[in-house]
Amino acid sequence: MNHVGKIIGKPILRKDAPGKVAGEARYVDDLALPGMIYGKVLRSPHPHARVRSIDASRALKHPGVLAVLTAQDIPGANSIGAIIKDQPILCGDVVRFAGDAVAVVAAETERAAEEAMAQVVVNYEVLPAVMDPLKAMEPGAPSVHPAGNIGTHFKARRGDVQAALRDAAVVLERRFFTQRIEHAYMEPEGAVAAVDPQGGITIWSSTQYPHRDREEVSRMLGLPQSRVRVHQMTTGGGFGGKLTPHAQCCAALIAWKTGRPAKVKYQRDESIIASHKRHPYVMDLKLGATKEGKLLAIEATLVGDTGAYLYEGRAVITKSVTHVTGPYYIPSVKADGYAVFTHTVPCGAMRGYGIPQIAFALESLMDELATRVGLDPIEVRMRNALDTTLPTATGQVLHASVPFKEMLQRTKRAADSFKPLLAKAPKGKRRGIGVGCSTRSIGSIRKSSRSTAIVTLSPDGSVTIACGHVDLGQGSDIMMAQVAAEVLGVDVDRIQLLTNDTAVAPDCESTSASRVTYLSGNAVRLAAEKVRRQVLELAGRDLGCDPEDLRLVDGVVAYRERGITLADLFNRHVYHEITAVADFMPETEPLDPETGQGSAAGTYSFSTHAALVDVDEGTGQVQVLRYAAVCDVGRLINPITVEGQVRGGVMMGIGYALTEEVKVNGGVSNPSFATYLVPTSFDVPEEISVEIVEDPEPTGPFGAKGFAEGTLDPVGAAVANAVSAAIGVRVVRLPMTSERVHALLHEPSS
Amino acid sequence: MRSFDYFAPQSLGDATSLLRRYGSKSRLLAGGTDLLLRLERRLTEPSVVIDLKKIRALSGIKASGKGLRIGAVTLMEEIASSPLAQGRYGIIAKGAAAVGSIQTQNRATLGGNLCNASPAADTAPPLIALSARARIASSRRDREVPLEEFFLGPGKTCLQPNELLKEIFIPAPAGRSGGSFQRCTRTAMDIALVNCAVFLSLAPKRETIADIRIALGAVAPTPLRARPAEDVLRGKNPDKGAVEEAADRAAAGASPIDDIRSSASYRRDMVRILTRRAIEEALKEALGSRQQKKWQR
Repeated sequence: MNHVGKIIGKPILRKDAPGKVAGEARYVDDLALPGMIYGKVLRSPHPHARVRSIDASRALKHPGVLAVLTAQDIPGANSIGAIIKDQPILCGDVVRFAGDAVAVVAAETERAAEEAMAQVVVNYEVLPAVMDPLKAMEPGAPSVHPAGNIGTHFKARRGDVQAALRDAAVVLERRFFTQRIEHAYMEPEGAVAAVDPQGGITIWSSTQYPHRDREEVSRMLGLPQSRVRVHQMTTGGGFGGKLTPHAQCCAALIAWKTGRPAKVKYQRDESIIASHKRHPYVMDLKLGATKEGKLLAIEATLVGDTGAYLYEGRAVITKSVTHVTGPYYIPSVKADGYAVFTHTVPCGAMRGYGIPQIAFALESLMDELATRVGLDPIEVRMRNALDTTLPTATGQVLHASVPFKEMLQRTKRAADSFKPLLAKAPKGKRRGIGVGCSTRSIGSIRKSSRSTAIVTLSPDGSVTIACGHVDLGQGSDIMMAQVAAEVLGVDVDRIQLLTNDTAVAPDCESTSASRVTYLSGNAVRLAAEKVRRQVLELAGRDLGCDPEDLRLVDGVVAYRERGITLADLFNRHVYHEITAVADFMPETEPLDPETGQGSAAGTYSFSTHAALVDVDEGTGQVQVLRYAAVCDVGRLINPITVEGQVRGGVMMGIGYALTEEVKVNGGVSNPSFATYLVPTSFDVPEEISVEIVEDPEPTGPFGAKGFAEGTLDPVGAAVANAVSAAIGVRVVRLPMTSERVHALLHEPSS
Repeated sequence: MRSFDYFAPQSLGDATSLLRRYGSKSRLLAGGTDLLLRLERRLTEPSVVIDLKKIRALSGIKASGKGLRIGAVTLMEEIASSPLAQGRYGIIAKGAAAVGSIQTQNRATLGGNLCNASPAADTAPPLIALSARARIASSRRDREVPLEEFFLGPGKTCLQPNELLKEIFIPAPAGRSGGSFQRCTRTAMDIALVNCAVFLSLAPKRETIADIRIALGAVAPTPLRARPAEDVLRGKNPDKGAVEEAADRAAAGASPIDDIRSSASYRRDMVRILTRRAIEEALKEALGSRQQKKWQR
């Protein structure tokens, strides 16, 4: 390409930014349709109960109430779920967590719906519940689903782990615990639905995946998918939490049954009580190494609490098992991951998707190994680092774009720059440095991923891109615009994205799994290249020259001093516009169900982080003073957007490390931001340094690949290693609340 | 939220007349940062809301030789940044600066924070340590109570239905003094797990503590004076052991609870830690101010 680098890599401001800052962006709750009514979801207060009867007679008499809908009112399939559809939209017979939906109340006002909801009488037969995943695995535990409480058992097997551990000079073994956390997106879930006169239905929603909204609503109503149209509204964050369109289904059911447009929005407490969470894990890890610190074997048992439903749990646990060796080469691997049902709020996708848990455990043991063999933590990692010749846990050799060793060197420099500060800890504070590393496959783990884009060039040189990967605030729209602008020689302002409408944008799967840049960046690039080729061939014919010698710039095809406008060119050849479709699907090889071996993804991204922390000896409070994140993006497309992602990911990771925990006592017992604590800007380091490493991925668009979740993956690990270094006691449980660290400081044996 | 009648009187007299008429059917509105949440959650359902923000006499900070007066509807932000609330009164500015977020501080008022009577209110311990008095108005008579007697329990104050809090008066501290406000939270914007204020004055020309007041928050149904801890230090030239003993006594006298934020035993230990830190900081300030005076002469 003759003008690569003109737009790729430039810090171009996103188009959505000014409107969001000024409060002009329109979210789903800003939408009001004429005659719109409101729905409220009635939820079970019991973790496990049989629904004997639902009496809505009093509620229906409440002024303004139009309908009380239950499982019986669902015309099609009463099941929902991102991957496995095992959650009832409205529970007909059994509720499996305190928060499971049993009815929706529709009324003229939100107030009336709320008041009427209190008058619906549900007769429950309370059943015994199991709340702990280890107890749920024991024989005789109450069953969450008829097939038993182990939803998934995924395995990785390579080499003879027992023999390797027997021969290892160093064997380290520990149990680690991580907690359930909430996405805490600024905008809770919500949707508006309206039936159309042709018998279809239209949804406006806050979503990560409009085509899944379409699929779930069509299944529920028994409508062809083509009759369901979904518009994604400006979405105030997703982080994996907006992949299950429950609010959309409730709004659609009301609209379908009453004929009135309907809005359903979750309140914050409802969002925390009912939406899925990050899986809490119990992890038993055993690591064998030589006395030189070279890893020989890993044995791991990972138990993830998937809560009441498995819809994403199987894939999350698979992600953990396939990444059990982290960014290291470990010859022998035996890992067993279980997604276990309990009668608690379901767990599903959340930024990181099974990696932050395993990174915390593995990186903690890597630090212990460093201590045991007398090496610097970076050096022990360097000795085991993956490169372009060594296989991942699934046996995949990454032939390019593995800059892990270079990243470790950069992180060493960052950690070294913290070292002079160690001696400067104020009285009463203990100071420590920690590093954390991770890697992740880009895209879905259990299946292939494909993205499709339609690029249209108009005679005035402007461009339309239709691609179903929606922007949730992370900046994928500007990425796609820059890719197309680079290929087609136009300014990004001339490019319009159509991602948020299922009627025009092709289904590209969800905006998740750090996939959008790698997959849709490629699909857009390929489609734009097709358009460009066609234009240059037409012009080459007219100008009597080789298309290779032509340039396409600002709506003009130029050959030396001569040029032809697109308008003239299109006119001459009777094109009103030129459109091309392309898709991209990286080469992968499915994972063997017995050994977990296979090529999980087209590319991997790496992260190496370092943290400097203070621990208050009196209160146990941890403060992250400095943070340095080194990121692997293949090739940088937009530095502003990348840095924003990194800062956000690190801050989210600090919450995971220090304060955030969804507590369950029957139901969620801390469903507010006064009791569930997300870090504020005062709780994170003033400066988070961001270093970008560019080692192009040959199969990526202009060498780019995904990195989004990697910004969070190793944060818990890095902060935990820093805290462990500061207090001299190994932390085995997240979050490191002041109270827990205080206990570690005073009772080291616990 | 149930509907209610809204009044915004311009004068204190109009406000107290409204209170006389509506009494317990009414709720007073200042910044609204507590009241609006309670209305929204239907924890209170008044038929009348009386907004005090338009009454000029209730707002602002005034200093005189006798002390400092802070109107009940003065914003936290005004207190936190006022030059009048610095120096020897500095711990009230620190308390105000600890309440909620910056957005909250631009809205919330001192009177609101006190009348809400949360055991964890960040303005209460500093004011109690500073011997502040609550000036109360009604259509019948005005009265004044020591602030530590103002609180009766969580959400309960000594105000009668026809009364309102007019202002807080802090008597000017005598001689060399020092203060400290400490709090323990899980994040920067969290409600205090424990908070503690110490204010002490030294005997003339000596390093003996003439008087000391220690106030604790979030460890009892109301903000608490730690009198046994004060007794350890009053009249003493304190050493490390005495400070430790005072801190231990403060912890022993606290009756914190287990809740979702933390355990009682952690809170009790934090009382000890914060009290010790507060005494140390207050002493440092008091001794430092003497040196500063010497230097000024």
